[in-house]
Amino acid sequence: MIETIVYGFTIGAILYFISIGLSLTFGTMNIINFAHGMVYTLGVYLFIAFLPLVDRNFPMAMVIAVVLLIPVSYVIERFVIRRLYGESLDYAIIATYAVLLIGTDLVKWIWGAQPYPVSDPIGAFLTVGDVTLPVYRLAIVASAIVLFLALSFFFNQHIVGKIVVAALEDSEGVRRLGIDVNKYFSIVFVLGSALAVLGGVLYAPFSAAQPYMGFSILLLGFAVVIVGGMGNLNGTFFSALALGMVIAITGRFWSQAAETMVFVVMALVLIFRPVGNSSRERTWSLPFGSLMGTKGAAGK
Amino acid sequence: MSNVIEESKEVAVRPADKPGVLEVVARSGLADLAIIAASFLVLGQLISLHRVTDFMIFCIFVMSYDLLYGYLGRLSFGHMLFLGTGAYASSLFLIHVNTNPLLAIVVALAAGAVVAMGTGFILARTEGAPFALIALAFNQVGFFLADSAFQQYTGGANGISSSPGVLGFLDFSQRNVIFGFTLFCVLVVFFALKLLTRSSYGILIRSIKEDETRVKFLGYNTGFYKWLTYVISGTIAALPGALNTLNYKFISPSFIDTHRNVEVIFAALIGGAGNLYGALVGGVGYMLISNYLAAYIERWEMFLGFVLLILVFNFRKGLTGFVTERVIPRLPYGSRRPGVERR
Repeated sequence: MIETIVYGFTIGAILYFISIGLSLTFGTMNIINFAHGMVYTLGVYLFIAFLPLVDRNFPMAMVIAVVLLIPVSYVIERFVIRRLYGESLDYAIIATYAVLLIGTDLVKWIWGAQPYPVSDPIGAFLTVGDVTLPVYRLAIVASAIVLFLALSFFFNQHIVGKIVVAALEDSEGVRRLGIDVNKYFSIVFVLGSALAVLGGVLYAPFSAAQPYMGFSILLLGFAVVIVGGMGNLNGTFFSALALGMVIAITGRFWSQAAETMVFVVMALVLIFRPVGNSSRERTWSLPFGSLMGTKGAAGK
Repeated sequence: MSNVIEESKEVAVRPADKPGVLEVVARSGLADLAIIAASFLVLGQLISLHRVTDFMIFCIFVMSYDLLYGYLGRLSFGHMLFLGTGAYASSLFLIHVNTNPLLAIVVALAAGAVVAMGTGFILARTEGAPFALIALAFNQVGFFLADSAFQQYTGGANGISSSPGVLGFLDFSQRNVIFGFTLFCVLVVFFALKLLTRSSYGILIRSIKEDETRVKFLGYNTGFYKWLTYVISGTIAALPGALNTLNYKFISPSFIDTHRNVEVIFAALIGGAGNLYGALVGGVGYMLISNYLAAYIERWEMFLGFVLLILVFNFRKGLTGFVTERVIPRLPYGSRRPGVERR
């Protein structure tokens, strides 16, 4: 049972890495970003490609993948997402979905459709009593907690983070202060993409890399964001851990149902937490008391 | 909103002028039906009956999607759920209960309606991104149910085959019969949707798309109409599923696959959303591209992605919108009667 709980925290931690970008993009730009899945997939493949070149140095290859994906995500933000900013949500969804299709096909073109397995980089086990835990999973959970604290610090203390939080609340108001909000949105977007690549690389040892991995992880990421409240950073953290636990516990009893159970939980949450009608109002009530005072969908 | 109001004024004014015989025929939509039937028959001769049957089945699916996306303005990423529901319901009915093909279609429609009523309770309360994503999640649950949970009934990834019985002249093992029957379904759905979208109900759902708050001020229960539209759209979308069963006699989880939702969105966009003619043009256009271009272009998904980007950035109203807004006004004789907007 302890193994299941640790596995749940591990999956939750990875979901947190991936969902933070989705949550930020929705909160700041009011855009559902399917291109996130493309950045995620491409990042994992670049990681795998660079792993043999740096003597299988796991952190080194991870850093290279993240650095290489930063310009890619900037290009997506600048040429696709920014052109759709403030327009109908539907077109943004379709356009970012198109980017995801292009990216998936690019990956298939370069690396082929066969899956690439990645081995556990640490490989050590920690034995406490009669429970044996892979150190790698504990490291992932620890890194997610560090990330949560770092992001809390960033959004509460650092000026860039404060501007972003203010823009989540009321981007027009921030603009009136003479601040170029788009620049900060770019920073947030690139930050979210980099975290998605990190999450993808950390998740790679659990499941082999394949071109369509972005689609399935996106569905889980959206579930996390919907349950946690869109644009709510604390909510994202807690809902990621909760849904990770759902996956782990369901998977223990019925492995095929694990991911579907997440959507069942999401539907239940939506039934008991009704949703407002107009996108101009606050669409999502917050399930958790917000430390940062972020609102759900900051309207225009 | 404003053009909707103008149009409803136009509808109110219309009885004053006496229409000629030609105009009555044009308004009743019989001419449209004849043109559609003739085009599909010609297409069937040019390509092959079997392929064009496929095209028409897809066109029904696009029309049902267009009611939800084009008219009500709700982008769904989970419409394959209803196609799959119809396909599985009709297959299972044919295998376990009765081999009557028409009853199988009725069962499929009922199954689609029931699924839409259930999921609609959650979905009708949302819009925009949550709507798209929750629909996607429901579709994923449906895929899981068909693919793994009910494996002993649905055959899992291997699929199931069924054999529809012969009912009078309706022998679905003959291509001509399937073609004719599908064409009949296309015409029925087109005519029904046309009546529906031009009725006061149709104006109401288009108004909800433009500005829901104002419609609420007028005293309408918009939640109910959104739910109703979702249910109608889902019910009609079950029909192409049942037709697929009758056409292929075989159903696999690919008929409920979440990833295939992009096909219908793409088709609705090519033709122009919010326009039934656009849905037909888009459906045929998409099938032509995916059947023929895919043979020449190896990087098919990438091509689709770039075309989608171009459509979103430059041609939002699709082919029909392009023709009515940019081509017809430039024609020397192309003076359309003002106010009569035919959607």
